[in-house]
Formats: sequence, C-alpha cells, structure tokens
Amino acid sequence: MKEERYQYEESPSYVSRREFMTISGIVIAILALPAVWIRSAVAKRNSYIRARISGLYKDDAGSKVRVSHANNGVARLYKDFAVHPLSDVSEELFHTEHYIDRTRI
Amino acid sequence: MSTNNTWILKHPWSVRSFHYLLVLSFIPLAITGVVLYFKPFDGPTMNRYMQVHVVTGVILTLDAVAYFILGFTRVIAFVKRSFSFSANDIRWFSILGGYPQKFLLRKKVAVPPMGKYNSGQKLFGICVLIGGTVLIATGWGLWGFPHILPHGMAALFGTLHLVFGWILILFLLVHVFLGIYMFDDFKAMFLHGRIPYDEAKEMAPLWVENEIVKIGR
Repeated sequence: MKEERYQYEESPSYVSRREFMTISGIVIAILALPAVWIRSAVAKRNSYIRARISGLYKDDAGSKVRVSHANNGVARLYKDFAVHPLSDVSEELFHTEHYIDRTRI
Repeated sequence: MSTNNTWILKHPWSVRSFHYLLVLSFIPLAITGVVLYFKPFDGPTMNRYMQVHVVTGVILTLDAVAYFILGFTRVIAFVKRSFSFSANDIRWFSILGGYPQKFLLRKKVAVPPMGKYNSGQKLFGICVLIGGTVLIATGWGLWGFPHILPHGMAALFGTLHLVFGWILILFLLVHVFLGIYMFDDFKAMFLHGRIPYDEAKEMAPLWVENEIVKIGR
C-alpha cells in the first residue's frame, strides 16, 4: 500500500460540529419517517378483515342458535323432507352437481 | 510550487473498501436486474438470476449499513457536498461540464470552478443516496416480507424498485465511462487512494483551496 506517499489530505474540520448535528438529524429523520409510515401501514393492513371477523363473532355471541345441527328449522327440514343428512334425497336436492370455478370472478 | 510528486489523499482505505464491495455487488445486481425485467430465459434460469440478485443485494445492504455506521462522518460530509449548490452548478450544467464539447467537438471550454465533486457528480451522489436507500428498503420488503406488506404498498415498492433501479443503472453507465476516462481518479479509487496535486487543482480547484490541508510527513 502506497498510501503514505501523500502530502495533503482533507481537512477534518470540513464539516463543523453544528453542521454535523444538523445533517445527521435530517438524515436520520428522513430514514425514520418512512419506517414509521411502513410500520403503521403494515400494522393496519388487515384492519377491515379484523373488523369483519369481530362483527361476525359479535353477531354469533348474540345468537340463540350458533350451530346448524342445533337449528330447529334445519332439523325439521330433514325430519319432514330429506330423511337425514347425506341421504339420497338431501344429496339430490342440496348438493351441487356442477362445480363452477368462481376464483376469477 | 513544483507539484509533480505532490499528492493528495482523496479516497482513504475505508472509502475504497466500501467502493470495492459496492462494485462487486451493484454490477451483478444491475445485470441480473435487467435480466429479471426482460425475462429472456426459461424458469429455472430466471430463478438462478433471482438467487444471484438476492445474494448480491444482501452483500450491498451489509456494505451500505456497515459504511453508514463505521464511516458516518464521511457519509455526512458526502451529504453536505452533494447538497451544496451555487451558481457555478447552473453554469456547469449549461455546458454539461464541457464534456460534450471535449468528446464531440474536440474543443476545450472554460468550466466553472468545482469542489471535490462537480455538479454532475453531485446529481449522481443525490441519486445514489436516495435511490440506493429506496432500492435497499424496497428490495428487502419485496424479497423478505411480501406476506406482511399491504397489497398497495407491495405494488408501490415494486414500482419504486423498478424506477430507481433503472435510474441508477443508466447513471452507472455514465459513471463507469467517466470514471475510467478520469484515469488518475480511477487509480486513486481502485489502487492507492491519492491523486496528483496538479490534477486536483485543475479539476477541483475549490476542493484544493478550501478543504485540503498539508500534513507533516
């Protein structure tokens, strides 16, 4: 390395203490502000889904009948009409025969 | 003063080692980035290009973060120099530093006195500071955390990565060409760090006048 062979170098006082503090503050603020914005946006990214889930749970908690097998209407439908779940009649009436891919709709 | 054997230390070891790693990481990043943009190859080959892009991106990040921390005073000096403007910058841009006249017309025109960086280098420095930071941040977001980014933010990151990537790649072509053309500066950056006093006084008179001090050697 031939680095010793020079007679001049940059003055270490090119940036004054006040300038150093000012520029450092601006640089760090510019780096920090988008970080705060990104963190905030990421934290809120699924807020509408969480609100929907919360609403469904709230409705569920207030419902008298929470499961289909405890639903008197469904039980009566099977008893009077479709014999029992997965019976031939219920399969014919309730089950889908033709699958339609709606993922792209 | 006879200055034939008089030298100024322009790029100390810390800057040169940062620049070595920057060269080794950014050039593969630029090449693989262009390939990833145009997608000329089949799936497995493109996947290999993506892997190289990611690994060199990590190297670039480590290099940038290490220099930001270890060479913070130099980063601040670089920011100050890059964002210091005067009427000389307008005059420099009005003649584009005299380079077109030199290359196309073989004519030497008077260039306003410059500091360590000329106006074009300042513009490049600003693009590197802003674009490099954006590229690193968006690259990490897109590669490392796409599952936690909101959809709109991921799309924005992709656009920013693309735009700043192209800006820096196009600037890189000019930078490499002029970097090799200014051969004393090229040797300083890649070999010994020092440039001849006369050369510096001609190319960067304000730097020599205002920022250079003699050392007792």
